[in-house]
Amino acid sequence: MNTKSSTTRRDFLVKMGQGAALAATGGLIWSYLLNQQARATPFAIRPPGALADPDDFNARCIKCGQCVDACPYDTLKLATADAGIPIGTPYFIPREIPCYMCEDIPCLKACPTGAIDPALENIDDSRMGLAVIDIENCLSWQGLRCEICFRECPVQGKAISVEHHPRRISKHAMFVPLVHSSDCTGCGICEKACPTEEAAIRVVQPELVQGKIGDHYRLGWTVDTPITQEFEIRGKPDAGDRAPPTGLDYLNEGPL
Amino acid sequence: MDLTRREFLKTSAATATATAAGISVPAAVLAESGKGDADIQWDKGVCRFCGTGCGIMVGTKDGRVVATKGDPDAPVNKGLNCIKGYFNGKIQYGQDRLTQPLMRMKDGKFDKNGKFQAVSWETAFDEMTRQFKKTYNEMGPAGVAVFGSGQYTIPEGYTMAKLMKAGFRSNNIDPNARHCMASAVVAFIQTFGIDEPAGNYDDIEHTDTVITWGANMAECHPILWARVSDRRLTNDNVKLVNLTTISNQTSDIADSEIVFKPGSDLAIQNYLMREIIKRNAVDHDFVKKHCVFATGPYDIGYGMRPTDKYAFEAEKDIQVKELRVTLDKHEAIAQRRKEGEVVEQKNTKKPVKHWMISFEEFKRGVEPYTLDFVAEVSKGDANESMDQYKAKLKALADLYADPKRKVTSFWTMGFNQHYRGSWVNEQIYALHLLLGKQAMPGNGAFSLTGQPSACGTAREVGTFAHRLPADMVVFNPKHRARSEKLWKLPANTLNPKVGSHITKIMRDLEDGSIKWAWVQVNNPFQATANANHWIKAARKMDNFLVVSDPYPTVSAKVADLILPTAMIFEKWGLYGNAERRTQAWRQQVAPPGEAMADVWQHLEFAKRFTLKEVWGEKTVPGLKAKGFEDGKLPDVLAEAQKMGYSPEDTLYDVLFATKDNLKVKWPDTAVAKGHGNHIAEKLGDGWFPEKALFNEYREFGVNFQHDLAEFDVYYGDKVRGLKWPVIDGKETQWRFNEKYDPYCAKGSGFDFYGKALKALPSGDLDKVTKKDKTSLAHKAKIFFRPYAAPPEQPDKNYDLWFSTGRVLEHWHTGTMTRRVPELHRAVPTAQLFMNPDDAEKRGLKRNDLVWIESRRGKIKALLETQGRNRPAPGYTFAAFFDEGVFVNKVCLDVTCPMSKEEDFKKAAIKVYKA
Repeated sequence: MNTKSSTTRRDFLVKMGQGAALAATGGLIWSYLLNQQARATPFAIRPPGALADPDDFNARCIKCGQCVDACPYDTLKLATADAGIPIGTPYFIPREIPCYMCEDIPCLKACPTGAIDPALENIDDSRMGLAVIDIENCLSWQGLRCEICFRECPVQGKAISVEHHPRRISKHAMFVPLVHSSDCTGCGICEKACPTEEAAIRVVQPELVQGKIGDHYRLGWTVDTPITQEFEIRGKPDAGDRAPPTGLDYLNEGPL
Repeated sequence: MDLTRREFLKTSAATATATAAGISVPAAVLAESGKGDADIQWDKGVCRFCGTGCGIMVGTKDGRVVATKGDPDAPVNKGLNCIKGYFNGKIQYGQDRLTQPLMRMKDGKFDKNGKFQAVSWETAFDEMTRQFKKTYNEMGPAGVAVFGSGQYTIPEGYTMAKLMKAGFRSNNIDPNARHCMASAVVAFIQTFGIDEPAGNYDDIEHTDTVITWGANMAECHPILWARVSDRRLTNDNVKLVNLTTISNQTSDIADSEIVFKPGSDLAIQNYLMREIIKRNAVDHDFVKKHCVFATGPYDIGYGMRPTDKYAFEAEKDIQVKELRVTLDKHEAIAQRRKEGEVVEQKNTKKPVKHWMISFEEFKRGVEPYTLDFVAEVSKGDANESMDQYKAKLKALADLYADPKRKVTSFWTMGFNQHYRGSWVNEQIYALHLLLGKQAMPGNGAFSLTGQPSACGTAREVGTFAHRLPADMVVFNPKHRARSEKLWKLPANTLNPKVGSHITKIMRDLEDGSIKWAWVQVNNPFQATANANHWIKAARKMDNFLVVSDPYPTVSAKVADLILPTAMIFEKWGLYGNAERRTQAWRQQVAPPGEAMADVWQHLEFAKRFTLKEVWGEKTVPGLKAKGFEDGKLPDVLAEAQKMGYSPEDTLYDVLFATKDNLKVKWPDTAVAKGHGNHIAEKLGDGWFPEKALFNEYREFGVNFQHDLAEFDVYYGDKVRGLKWPVIDGKETQWRFNEKYDPYCAKGSGFDFYGKALKALPSGDLDKVTKKDKTSLAHKAKIFFRPYAAPPEQPDKNYDLWFSTGRVLEHWHTGTMTRRVPELHRAVPTAQLFMNPDDAEKRGLKRNDLVWIESRRGKIKALLETQGRNRPAPGYTFAAFFDEGVFVNKVCLDVTCPMSKEEDFKKAAIKVYKA
């Protein structure tokens, strides 16, 4: 398997070399192509520690393939022209081979440019994407005893927990998996392991699915807020300049 | 670390109630999901996997199983399945399904060292028969053996047991169920005089305390655990306690987790009983009316060979304990002896003998088991404080002793696969009986089984080396006589000598005392501990091994002949689950290629033997029984002729296609409803073997405390299995309880009416003092059994505990579930679970490939330091489904000396980087 994939990788690099030669002669067209791709970048699951901003990552990644070479599981691949992302950049497809979250992060160590950020020390802190459960097709959400994603999750109990609810229509409990974005690394082991025909849990771009509770509100049971006994004004006090009054038009004009 | 995990789970559970409230399935959605299924035909079936016995519906189209669903009417699972059950429809369609007989051949004929080649059934049976006769004529009935199964359908187990015992007069048939619940059986028989649980799964909804002992129900009985969890979630008074040697998924919802040292469950049980007596929580009325006290010898060995002749050099220091044991500090206290005392193991041949003792003696037996002593013996997690651990033990005693609390105890392999498996089983009954908390709704000790028909087939049919149907045994002359009558055999046809149990069959192959064996519904060469010995024996010794299987397994690989076998929905069958529920299904599709069901294989093989070949005088070394010449089975041919048989009749004619059975016609008009029967069709003589043979078998249990309904009843559209005894069409919910069980004597309240071992001599804790036997009919026994230390424990060289078991995703040796691509993708390999500190100390990290080495061999696996199992420092675990890892090469083949069930849970290993 190793040999096979590195051969493919080498083949690809040769082709890349040919492409580069073409680019050198073709000049404009090649850079246009690259720019187009960079701009239209759909979500790609990058190696752990890859710079979060796609522009930063694309700018920094020199498509050298060393991370791909370093990956012991053949998870990482270099994008080909049909991958829909900048050619030659590393990515992976979790349903094929997920990131197994090596403690020593060899892909990161191999990166010569910092496109994979050396600041990442603990693999559990990586954020490659976010796992999302399709609760309509998740077997556990229907009451079956599956919970494979929970058991296989390398940050088990933190990134995916299982909650027990009475099923109500029979005397069985449901064992419902939930993903917690606070700890999900987006490694995709859950997506790979999911036993449904199409994975009912998938790694996606967090921004696509994550909502946000208003800054003005705290969930009562998550934050401890004792009543402040000795009150003091914190933060910037009001500047004091009076702004023009509002609402006068309504108050002063029109019939009563 | 564990506590934080559980705390986390608890806090997140609170946040989730709102989301849960919305979960319900609108009727419109349900109706919609049925569309497009119009041309699928549905019929009821049973899940192929564990002993829970979930009902499923099987959907077929164009001769193929295209869908299954959980049966919403099945009381066990109400439409649900676990992830194995979800894949029932895919297990028969693995890419490497065997469809032709395969035999080792060289130059056109059989050769033990040849390569497998496809042969016809005719050639296969010819060679199989030739080899059988060669061994049988040379060695007699003791030279041949069958590895049977708790996954045989009832008709399959019945035909094979009858062929072996009545036909070949050999008791060398033993199921893999020996490895699964033989210890439970010994305890049932010794305690109650009759096998199988008093209660049923409804105990879960009736009880308010569930105690799991060595049972990771969350993974191994997933649907039952969903019921236990529901009970816990819907009632705050309900408490769950998980006693285990390795923190597991069952702990996640438990109120208390007690991590104890391997083998020390014996001590904990005695502590609980001592407490119950001290607190005066004994139900004296119940005990006086319905129980007696008993004990037996302690010097019973560990079920190993009495000689080191076949042991590897490294194994010898453990093997010698079979002969003599030097008591350690804890055993000395627990057995009222001196530390360092050398105890010759004098009762290895008679470990089951026992005698009555007084309550005073019983009290004296449990007296040393104080909280301080037991906590010291049993605390399993070095990171837990002694005070916290003691508090947990005390709280456990509080739960059991509380007169207002109903308590259900569940256990599985942690108890059964134990060097004192029968003892721990007996002591859980002792605990419940002392409290008067047995055989009533919500109150009882309930033995869960592993396999789908461990109860229905292995136990009830009696595919064990010592058993006959309906709890009868081969060494009891009355039982033999009754069986001979029902089977229409001449007197003394049946062999009174107990055959080889499954581990012994392996040992017999190794020492050459068995030379022909047939493996069915079973993968013993992967599933038996200390596998390196047995694989070598199969390949290097002069023997002939037949394996019937749908897939190429490890056992098939070491075989000489492989027979392609039909799978569950390719044949008619019945299974019996752990709550005595017998459930039936029809053939849904035809088997692929030339594959044929086991029943057909048995019948076809039987055609190749005439009475004169098997019912003449036979030598059986070691046979000693009243009415028999030593070492001999008599010639019964003359008697047979008087009964109307001819010496030229085949075993097929005499045992199976009998006059009565031939009257049970195929095609069947009552229950077949258009479904095929590939066995009846291939036999072509117009009878319905499964139905005829089930009804024949049924006669054993009727009015004999094991009543089953007639075959057709189980096929009724409305029937979802029935819990035996089925009397006047009614199933029995709680046995031994007069309110529910018609076998109880009127006015008895409770009646432990089982008949076995109901007259005993009396004595004290150490010996028999009065040989006269007292009858204890209608009573159960409360045993005293002391703590004994595990024969192999971690030491300087092998410094870690190792236990094996299951994962939710895979079944047994993975021969079916590893062929389901989705399950294989989810859990491709068995990992070695280790405490992260132990890994760090060895310079290992998760996903490292490591060597696991014991005295018996070494294997490689990937290391895991987190996830579903969280071992305390010093403990490791790996599942046994993965033939690539092959944990049984390192496991120890110690057995409970009484049940002969192997202890897969306690081996010492070392682990280092591969």
